[in-house]
Amino acid sequence: MNLSNVASILADSGMSLSEKGIASGKVILTGFVVVFAVLLLLIMIIKLYSTIVQKAQQSGKKKKEKVKIEETKTSAPTPVVAPVSATPSALSVQDGVTDEVVAVISAAVAAMYGSSGKARIKSIKKSDSGRSAWANAGILDNTRPF
Amino acid sequence: MEILQGFVDAVNGILQSSGIFTLNWQNYVMIGVSIVLLYLAIKKQYEPLLLLPIAFGMLLVNLYPDIMAAPSTELLTAEQCAAKSVATSGHATQIINGVTYYENPTYGGLLYYLYQGVKLGIYPPLIFLGIGCMTDFGPLIANPKSLILGAAAQIGIFITFTGAIFLGFTEAESGAIGIIGGADGPTAIYVTTKLAPHLLGSIAIAAYSYMALVPIIQPPIMKALTTKKERSVVMEQLRPVSKLEKIMFPVIVVILIAIFLPDAAPLVGMLMLGNLFKESGVVERIAKTAQNELMNIITIFLGTTVGATASGQNFLQPSTLFIIGLGLLAFCMGTACGVLFGKLMYKLTGGKVNPLIGSAGVSAVPMAARVSQRVGQQENPGNFLLMHAMGPNVAGVIGSAVAAGVLLNVVG
Repeated sequence: MNLSNVASILADSGMSLSEKGIASGKVILTGFVVVFAVLLLLIMIIKLYSTIVQKAQQSGKKKKEKVKIEETKTSAPTPVVAPVSATPSALSVQDGVTDEVVAVISAAVAAMYGSSGKARIKSIKKSDSGRSAWANAGILDNTRPF
Repeated sequence: MEILQGFVDAVNGILQSSGIFTLNWQNYVMIGVSIVLLYLAIKKQYEPLLLLPIAFGMLLVNLYPDIMAAPSTELLTAEQCAAKSVATSGHATQIINGVTYYENPTYGGLLYYLYQGVKLGIYPPLIFLGIGCMTDFGPLIANPKSLILGAAAQIGIFITFTGAIFLGFTEAESGAIGIIGGADGPTAIYVTTKLAPHLLGSIAIAAYSYMALVPIIQPPIMKALTTKKERSVVMEQLRPVSKLEKIMFPVIVVILIAIFLPDAAPLVGMLMLGNLFKESGVVERIAKTAQNELMNIITIFLGTTVGATASGQNFLQPSTLFIIGLGLLAFCMGTACGVLFGKLMYKLTGGKVNPLIGSAGVSAVPMAARVSQRVGQQENPGNFLLMHAMGPNVAGVIGSAVAAGVLLNVVG
């Protein structure tokens, strides 16, 4: 492309340099402020309603759980205790590991070593890496097409 | 002898109306360009769903320009009607200077009629309806802060606007060129048809080409702006989002955006309607149609007719080169601003946010999120940023629709 073409395009809009400056300043400022303002407002609203929804659902769950616990207390006076988890006092469980997870691990250990009491779980901790090699391989396999 | 003369006349007539005599050099150049694009779509598979119809529309209009011709009405006298063997009955008449003229309508080309959906701004919102059905806003609801990254990546639009205006484009044209930086095909087409319809071919082709080139354009910028340590950040797993939250999201967003920015309502409204189809779970049939059959039909119409706006005379202009250059600038600026805001969030959260997810703020769903995932995995193969990047990615769709609303309002 030669310079005369550029010059002819440069003259197209018929705006002076200061007019161009004002127009672009106006758009940049308005765009920046409005886009951020709208999306910040959205952030606040999302946070607000999701906390409300979460709290409402949690309190709903707790009520249900209470009812369940009361029911089990009345209906099952003699709970069966699994042999592996028979020494709960020695077991240190990290925060954030639910009872279900403890039960699953205990069951797995019991299945591996038998329930004769040879194996004892001393503590249950989340590993730092977050995922095992198998989990990593699985996710890698699933996300590879993307 | 008469038969032979008739034959020569007929052949001559066919030749005169054939492309050999009616096409000019620009058409031939564009035929070449469209064949290259067809090659890229089929062999290299660069966004073939869009590039293939676009390239073929381009090919058709340059072979047979009348396929995009608008309908018109010619006035014929009774004698002319007889000569052209046009029936006079049933046609409206006009009397000019005592002579009766019959209004003989000529119909437009096939693609002219299909193009009305683009021109009147019908197709882009319908595409958004389908996108809404396919989009999971869960990662965004779980981590609303990613909306900031979706907003940051729109800064490129407004910076490019400045570049375009100083290159001599009008305000409306500059707005349409800047929106390429939103990396959102339907939004770019929607804004361009409202602000600068004459630039539609070049802007749409620039926008879709750059979207196809996201995996090539973004990584160097992302790597240049981040350190190895920042790229290796493993983010905490997102919290699960309840169904109620997902159902409330589209309703709340559409109320908020349509009230504050009515110009963005057609795009955001359709996006959120589609999302509500999906999340409500009660209209599965409609959701399926919107994201499959309807979207495919609209994609065919949209792609072919957008390609057909790139006739040689329209497309081979110096301004096209500027638009392609400015579009690239818009894309790079959007990516850079997203990553820089990602870095800011990395600093503010004490290293919990991986800045690579910032680049996904330019919409280009889900390509830009995949790029974040890939670049992150190059540093740490055990790092999965895909879902974290989907937050800014879908926020970018909302962000570019909001930016479109701003542009339509300020320069429209």
